[in-house]
Amino acid sequence: MTTVDRNLDQLGDHGHHDEGSYLNPKYGPIATVWDWMTTVDHKKIGVMYLFAVLFMFFLGGVAALALRIELLEPTRIDETGNLTGAALAFFAEGETVSQAAAGQAYNRVMTMHGAIMVFMFIIPAIPASLGNFFLPLMLGAKDVAFPRLNLASWYVYVFGSLFGVFSILMGGVDTGWTFYTPYSTTTTGQPQVIAMVLAAFILGFSSIFTGLNFIVTTHKLRAPGMGWFDMPLFIWAVYSTSIIQVLATPVIGVTLLLLIFERVLQIGIFDPGLGGDPVLFQHFFWFYSHPVVYVMILPAMGIISDVLAIHCRKRIFGYRAIAFSSLAIAAISFLVWGHHMFTSQGELAAMVFSFLTFFVAIPTAVKVFNWIASLYKGSITFTTPMLYVFAFLFLFSIGGLTGLPLGTLSTDLHLHDSYFVVAHFHYVMFGGTVIAFLAGLHHWWPKMFGRMYSEKGGALGCALVFIGFNMTFFTQFFLGTQGMPRRYASYVDEFTLLHQISTYGSLILALGFVVHLVVFLHSLFLGEKAPQNPWGGLTLEWETETPPIEHNFHHEPVLTHGPYDFDEVVPPGWDPKDYPLPEQTPGGHKH
Amino acid sequence: MTATLAGINDFVIKLFFGQKADSLVGSGLGGSDAVFLFIWWVSVFFFVLLMGIMGYCMVKYRRREGVPAEPSPSHNTPLEIAWSVIPSLLLAVMFFWGFNGYMRAQMAPSYAEQIDLVGQKWAWSMTYSTGIGASEFTTLGGNNNVPIFVVPAETPVRLRMNSSDVIHAFWVPDFRTKLDVMPNRYTPYVFTANALDRSGADERVMTATDKNDNEFAYRDHIVYCAEYCGDSHSEMVAVLRVVEPSYYQTWLNTPPYDAVTPPAEVGALVWQAKCAVCHTVDGGVGTGPTWKDAWGYPREFTNADSLTQETLDARPDEWDNYIRESIILPGAKVKAGFANAMPSFDGQLSDVEMRGVIAYMRSLSDRDPGTPIPGYEELEAEAAELEAAANGGE
Repeated sequence: MTTVDRNLDQLGDHGHHDEGSYLNPKYGPIATVWDWMTTVDHKKIGVMYLFAVLFMFFLGGVAALALRIELLEPTRIDETGNLTGAALAFFAEGETVSQAAAGQAYNRVMTMHGAIMVFMFIIPAIPASLGNFFLPLMLGAKDVAFPRLNLASWYVYVFGSLFGVFSILMGGVDTGWTFYTPYSTTTTGQPQVIAMVLAAFILGFSSIFTGLNFIVTTHKLRAPGMGWFDMPLFIWAVYSTSIIQVLATPVIGVTLLLLIFERVLQIGIFDPGLGGDPVLFQHFFWFYSHPVVYVMILPAMGIISDVLAIHCRKRIFGYRAIAFSSLAIAAISFLVWGHHMFTSQGELAAMVFSFLTFFVAIPTAVKVFNWIASLYKGSITFTTPMLYVFAFLFLFSIGGLTGLPLGTLSTDLHLHDSYFVVAHFHYVMFGGTVIAFLAGLHHWWPKMFGRMYSEKGGALGCALVFIGFNMTFFTQFFLGTQGMPRRYASYVDEFTLLHQISTYGSLILALGFVVHLVVFLHSLFLGEKAPQNPWGGLTLEWETETPPIEHNFHHEPVLTHGPYDFDEVVPPGWDPKDYPLPEQTPGGHKH
Repeated sequence: MTATLAGINDFVIKLFFGQKADSLVGSGLGGSDAVFLFIWWVSVFFFVLLMGIMGYCMVKYRRREGVPAEPSPSHNTPLEIAWSVIPSLLLAVMFFWGFNGYMRAQMAPSYAEQIDLVGQKWAWSMTYSTGIGASEFTTLGGNNNVPIFVVPAETPVRLRMNSSDVIHAFWVPDFRTKLDVMPNRYTPYVFTANALDRSGADERVMTATDKNDNEFAYRDHIVYCAEYCGDSHSEMVAVLRVVEPSYYQTWLNTPPYDAVTPPAEVGALVWQAKCAVCHTVDGGVGTGPTWKDAWGYPREFTNADSLTQETLDARPDEWDNYIRESIILPGAKVKAGFANAMPSFDGQLSDVEMRGVIAYMRSLSDRDPGTPIPGYEELEAEAAELEAAANGGE
């Protein structure tokens, strides 16, 4: 093993490099904008994706708050014949609205929330922003394998999102984000529905481009010396995600095209009125959308593995088990789509899918056990990223365990399409993915923008998000078991208290995000300059400058130690923050 | 110890569900509450264990300046096998237990009481073996015309469900089971409601008196539509009223109307059961036009020639024809200002009911020839007074 840090210039002279941070503007303002818009630099594309998905998260979040405010009180007709408790419809149309109009306003906002959050935020969120930025850096590569395809993916994403926003501006869609037939093929408002379906179709291409790029990059552009089992676990997770994206997304593309054919050309595929079968749509839809649940959660699991190891300065427990469980999840995820349809299919299919669903629970459980075991004898800090890791372990455990009664057939017959499902998937998608996204964002923020953020502010934001989230969604488990169906604009009196707690919780949650926004803005403009390796990480992205130079590394890095070899690489008394490591370091054993 | 555990279990069930499952399929060891409790305890065990270890490590292994982390193993094969195999076994138990309960919830004996159920945007309707449907309605949430479906206790019931438009789902939370209602095939909803506990221990059991002065006990369960179906999805509710089997037979043979019921009353019943979700009768706004003061007035259409005063004067049946056509082919004439949103009720109304709807709409309009002219009653009273005065003067 070489002991020389290849990252240092061998001539001991940095002067002949005129490369600065990738963020430094090299031209005038207009030329700089043009430079960003035409860049093939994965870091800039990652940052552009980051802002795009955060904007979509904001839009979807506003819709979510609107839903919670509508549900603060049930819709009723009082003695004088006037409607009460229809906040959304009052806002949209003034006081004289019918109950049906109140329902329609709710349904449109509900669809907007679901479609934006799923297709425009949570699918691309981690892979396309943090993945784009850090996958090449962690592999020690100069860029992704196909930089132009990467830029194309961003434009396709923006184009697809514009279709989605356009359909909302045209009056909105009320089909729900799942577009179930025959409702979606027979509901009024043709142009919006087609625009929204087209948006999802186009966004699929962006997803495929990114996935393809990451697969090739991981196979071909690993730094010299980096074997498959020397890769950080984030790479394993993003790699598994990419496989799903490339294999599953075409199916939804075909399905959505068939839907458009049916609506426009009246060809009977799903609508029984035309000779089709509505359940066929559900099969097609979930054949994509179930694997995609893992597109949403796998990168989050990757972030947790890396952030946890670095902030505990501890080798991750069961590296191979975590790596292989990512691949196992990716594979099994293709076989469990039918558990979304226990109430609409035959007994044999229900039995098979219930059985397979329990299989996917095992690798997920193994990951959680490994993370908890990794804490043992660690050196645990309480930085904001690590606080979010604890929040993740807490919330994701609840999310995972509440999946059990949904995979069990007899209990699912009760819980299916109830608020229990809503609570469960928010615990997984928000308590899992969004929380991990926040962990990763805080963890890599200094590297991305060269500034530290306020730890106190971050911790405050984390606390508010954690409390607000639990208030919003834990109540919904009880709403579900007690009989509240999902996608209801109104409800019977018994559910009022739980709905009110949920709504107040959502306001606290929103406040938490406002705190994070303030902390990040403060960091960008007034934050103290970040050191090269603030957390003492051993993965390659910490070996380059902060923020990284345009070509990532001054020299092609050579891997001399594994990503989590804190025990072997770091000499006693040496803080890994003091990069580079001393030359005398013994070569790390690589697992 | 066993008693304490049973008490805790009862508490957990009450916390989550409000009360125990009421159908026989949902109660007992094979029912979904028992599986739910098993999953609950497994989940509580693992959650407390994991969070306990996490909390312990957070305190014990927090970073201290200058103290490096102790070396610790990076894997442990026996431990890893144990935490893969033990959860797998527990999951296998859940799978088999749940599958068993699921199959029970799908099967009904051949002698089960069969009732037809139709889901339609946005109301449920049932047709019993004697051909009758719901005859009573109540208020639930924001819906004032919620049908009450009478079903027998302690008798297996099999609903043959079908949708006449999009997919709906029939869910009785108290029975812990639901099933989708499809437009292209029948699906079965099977349940056996528990006996009515008339000892007073069950506060949901009540008594009432029907129009023939029969006293009967009942217990109500809410029915929801659980598959998203559009604007009034959250108003698509019903009440399942469990009664004694003997009273059920009486009820089944008491038609809500007979040969001498005035047509307008038949029409009012049909309106409550099928039309009230969209059409008001008091002039209020709804998805469809109100029926108040509609009959006999000229009307503009978006996709057909308007119904003018001249037409109505020349052909007095024209409004009746328009109603009939709209029930069978709702899209043929769509009133200006409204969307073409009504599903077809072709084949769902008998001739008597069709005539009833027309008669009911006529009775709601001040242009109905049978309606007394405004001020008629006062004039009549005045005439009577004058007559009385004239008589008294003799």
